[in-house]
Amino acid sequence: MTPAITTTGLTKRYGKVAALTDCTITVPEGRISALIGPNGAGKTTLLRLEAGLSRPTAGQVIVNGGTPRQDPAFLADIGYLAQDIPLYRRLSAEDHIQAGAHLNPRWDSESVRERLASLKIPLDRAVGKLSGGQRAQVALALILAKRPRLLLLDEPVAALDPLARRNFLALLADGVAVGGLTVVMSSHLVADLERVCDHIVMLSASRVQVCGDIDDVLAEHQVLVGPNKDTTAIERDHYVVQATRTPRQTRLLVRLNGPVIDPAFQASDVGLEELVLAYLGEEASAAPGPSGIPAQLTTVGDEGK
Amino acid sequence: MTISFRVDSRSAVPPYLQIVQQVRQALRMGVLEVSDQLPTVREVVSATAINPNTVLKAYRDLEREGLIEARAGHGTFVLRLPPGPPPGTHTRLGRSLARWVREARDAGLDDESMEALLRVTLQAADEEEIA
Amino acid sequence: MTWLVWRQHRIQFYVGAALLVAFAVAIVITGAQVANQFHAAQAACTAGHGCRHLGGLFMGSDVVGFLVIATLGAPLVVGLFWGAPLVAAEVEAGTTQFAWMQSVTRWRWLRFKVGWMMLAAAVWGGVISALVTWWSSPTNAEQLNQFNPGRFDLMDLVPVGYSLFAMGLGIASGALLRRTLPAVAVTLAGFIAVRVAITLWVRPHYLTAVTTFSSVVNNFTPAGAYWKIAQGVLGPNGKPIPQPNGIPFFNGIPQNALPASCSSVFNGASTPAPACAQALAHYREFITYQPASRFWAFQGIETGIFVVLAGGLVAATVILLLRRDA
Repeated sequence: MTPAITTTGLTKRYGKVAALTDCTITVPEGRISALIGPNGAGKTTLLRLEAGLSRPTAGQVIVNGGTPRQDPAFLADIGYLAQDIPLYRRLSAEDHIQAGAHLNPRWDSESVRERLASLKIPLDRAVGKLSGGQRAQVALALILAKRPRLLLLDEPVAALDPLARRNFLALLADGVAVGGLTVVMSSHLVADLERVCDHIVMLSASRVQVCGDIDDVLAEHQVLVGPNKDTTAIERDHYVVQATRTPRQTRLLVRLNGPVIDPAFQASDVGLEELVLAYLGEEASAAPGPSGIPAQLTTVGDEGK
Repeated sequence: MTISFRVDSRSAVPPYLQIVQQVRQALRMGVLEVSDQLPTVREVVSATAINPNTVLKAYRDLEREGLIEARAGHGTFVLRLPPGPPPGTHTRLGRSLARWVREARDAGLDDESMEALLRVTLQAADEEEIA
Repeated sequence: MTWLVWRQHRIQFYVGAALLVAFAVAIVITGAQVANQFHAAQAACTAGHGCRHLGGLFMGSDVVGFLVIATLGAPLVVGLFWGAPLVAAEVEAGTTQFAWMQSVTRWRWLRFKVGWMMLAAAVWGGVISALVTWWSSPTNAEQLNQFNPGRFDLMDLVPVGYSLFAMGLGIASGALLRRTLPAVAVTLAGFIAVRVAITLWVRPHYLTAVTTFSSVVNNFTPAGAYWKIAQGVLGPNGKPIPQPNGIPFFNGIPQNALPASCSSVFNGASTPAPACAQALAHYREFITYQPASRFWAFQGIETGIFVVLAGGLVAATVILLLRRDA
């Protein structure tokens, strides 16, 4: 199966500032992929490159089997929703539905009308007069009506209350269950993503830290807790993402490169939220994301977590 | 729908395992009976907002265990019950447990104390069996 | 895509149409009055009752007259209010990200938006020009000044060219600067600068002006509505005589440059001395002008120039939008 997205060494610079550096990822088809990273890490840049709204400075991006290009068939297969929810403020939801019907080959007007009716959002009011949450719902309904193969969503649920968030994520998951849909979703809220996403891309300081199916990523990491002793062997053999040393114990969050053969350390599983915080909580050091190469230890204060 | 799932993100148990456990529990309690149809993937997804692959994985594990069976084009159905006492037993014991919980609460025990009491009792019972 | 263009811009269309209708009503009513007055005066004139003061008989309504002159700015209006925001406002609001992620390519989106706007600009310029030309025909027939800068610009073809240019300039500025207010400022400044520059420095040279020499006593006046570029008197030495203000002239020659034999004219003599006439034979009047017959050629050339400029601006817009990041 062709992956939905493949990037190779993808780089985007604005003048001297590197928004994305040497990014190589794969998002298989049918995944709901979480794009996670602090502000300014390059999430929006990556999504825009995937949507074809901007062009790479270097490297390659392949989406739905081709380079993003100005072609109606390609555009019809992609749905992109920008963070600021761009809609025509003076036009109503119904206007947007009709615009979509005129501009897209596949368009499900009824789905939008039904969904907005069930959310009690008026179809005939100017979109600019709706609340932020209502506007987000309109935008999301419109993007689903397009029936694309790939959804690229930039913080789509930020404006929604928890119930609406859950509702929308269920809708996305349903679309994937039906088949023929891949979703890439950027967000800050890890807890939400953990239930609905099965793939993760972590960005920090314009570089990729982690990319893969969540189950695989979690299986590759472990928390090792043990006494304060020399850990050079562990550091040499595995990639230590985060190390916490208190006077009484050492706690290492490690990406495994084989089994850990140190009986002094007790191993346990890592949760996704903890893993994300470990990778992204601190500025990434000079070395890029793990590729089996051990990086330098970073000691994090005296707070044992 | 015969069974409605609840997935708790904050639980240490991964979502797919929660589904598996809830199916087993439903079978033990008699909520699900043999040849009942399980909710479709889409129904589960729409109720819980979890990833469809998670549901598929849970159902696959249950199928491997022999408890359920997927019939192409028709849905997923319960094949047999897990080994153990009949469903009625669970319901009956569940009711007497509920009575005990009410009594414990009235006596002023909180959930943590009740759990501790249960654990101690289980341990004691184990030791009794070994002895 | 046409549906979207209409839905987005229909208020602009209604406002524009309303303005045109209001303008047309004012013009038609007053223009009909003016035409009637003119024809009556003409009839009286041919019947032999004296034609000399025909020009002073009517000016139409002062307000409408002012309005007609104000249509010099009409082409700019579409550039500022319709052209500049076309791309810029959408980029500012981010709605280009909505539009360009529907299954319509940027090229298609652009050519529909720009195409309809340019058509609207041409209609705007054309309707106003037709009304103004019709309204001015009595004045033109009487004063024969339609080739002069300031009146040439109001009539016939050129307002269509100006409107297309203003629209193109507005759209291109918006595409380049990506913000509406700066685009409006650039359109305003750019339109005025180009119009002034072309009127002053380029238009006189579309075709080589004709220079005719004649006697100062019986000087030559070109026929019809000609455009006077320059006029003066060459002295006996063949050089043009400076024509300062404020001192009396005789046959186009200022008093301080007249031959002595002619000075009697300023001392109360009703006819100049015979020697004066002889001396004046050495002076020549010249007039450099564009003949009336070239009026339409000039209209065509100037319109063509502005249409080409508009085309260049549209091309620049296309390149900008297709090549740049959204």
